[in-house]
Amino acid sequence: MKSTLLSPVRIAAALSAFALVVQAAPQSFDFKDPKGVNNAQFKLDAPLESITGTATGISGTVHFDPADPAATSGRITLEAASLTVGNPMMSDHLRSDQWLDVATHPTITFEAVSLDNLRRQGAQLVADVTGKLTVKGVTKEITVPVSFTYLADKLGARVNNPKVKGDLLVLRTDFEINRSDFGIKAGQMTDKVAETIRLSLSIAGAAPRT
Amino acid sequence: MKSVFPLTRTLRLGAVAFFVAGLALWIFSGARIGWTQTSTVRTERDEITGIEYPVRSSGFVAGIEVPLAGTAGALALGGLSLLTQRRTARGSV
Repeated sequence: MKSTLLSPVRIAAALSAFALVVQAAPQSFDFKDPKGVNNAQFKLDAPLESITGTATGISGTVHFDPADPAATSGRITLEAASLTVGNPMMSDHLRSDQWLDVATHPTITFEAVSLDNLRRQGAQLVADVTGKLTVKGVTKEITVPVSFTYLADKLGARVNNPKVKGDLLVLRTDFEINRSDFGIKAGQMTDKVAETIRLSLSIAGAAPRT
Repeated sequence: MKSVFPLTRTLRLGAVAFFVAGLALWIFSGARIGWTQTSTVRTERDEITGIEYPVRSSGFVAGIEVPLAGTAGALALGGLSLLTQRRTARGSV
């Protein structure tokens, strides 16, 4: 009798523990964005005007655990051919073998290796993320400031379907790189285009729940 | 009053037209101090994520090279008109 009474309690306890474990496990956030909201922007100084451009071909996966954000890992990929500036001739030059050579190196990737200096700023978590940035086939380790905004149960609202359950993770970062570090016209045309490229990323990933 | 030959007059009118057209196109498309753009970007905000994202759409904005090209064309036609004026004047003597 005793065992039959305890069994449902044990089962419930086991299920609760399992649910907690599942909830605490890292979630995989997919950054492929059918809405076209995820974007990267870049800016280079030039004598006549700053050259600004945008890119939307972003994909990748980030493993994030709200209970243990320091363990975050992942990889974000940008289609180099999606980089666009307002002047079509400049866009062609940018994608050509003289600059980014997108035919040979179709992607720009960032792979997170470690997080440091994790701190909370309002609703956001901010960390210095060290990772491997690959541009034009050249990989360099860099550290960039990244803000993480975890939006629990917001996936349904984003896809306009309340039946869809899941969470969102928004990442934002602004940083600079030197084009010569990645073999982009190293030491050339510095009088026409600045050496420093300012990059800005705002991307959201989705982790659906079944 | 000094008479101007038809070809010379046409070239001079063409020079003025080039200059005015280049300047007018530049001014009326926004007088942009930069290179010509064939697309424009406006920023929108995603309500759920708060992400501000660029929306690119077709749109011609004349850059500084447009009035410069108009001026260069005007100078070329003006110079040509001077040549034709001299040659025609010599031929008529």
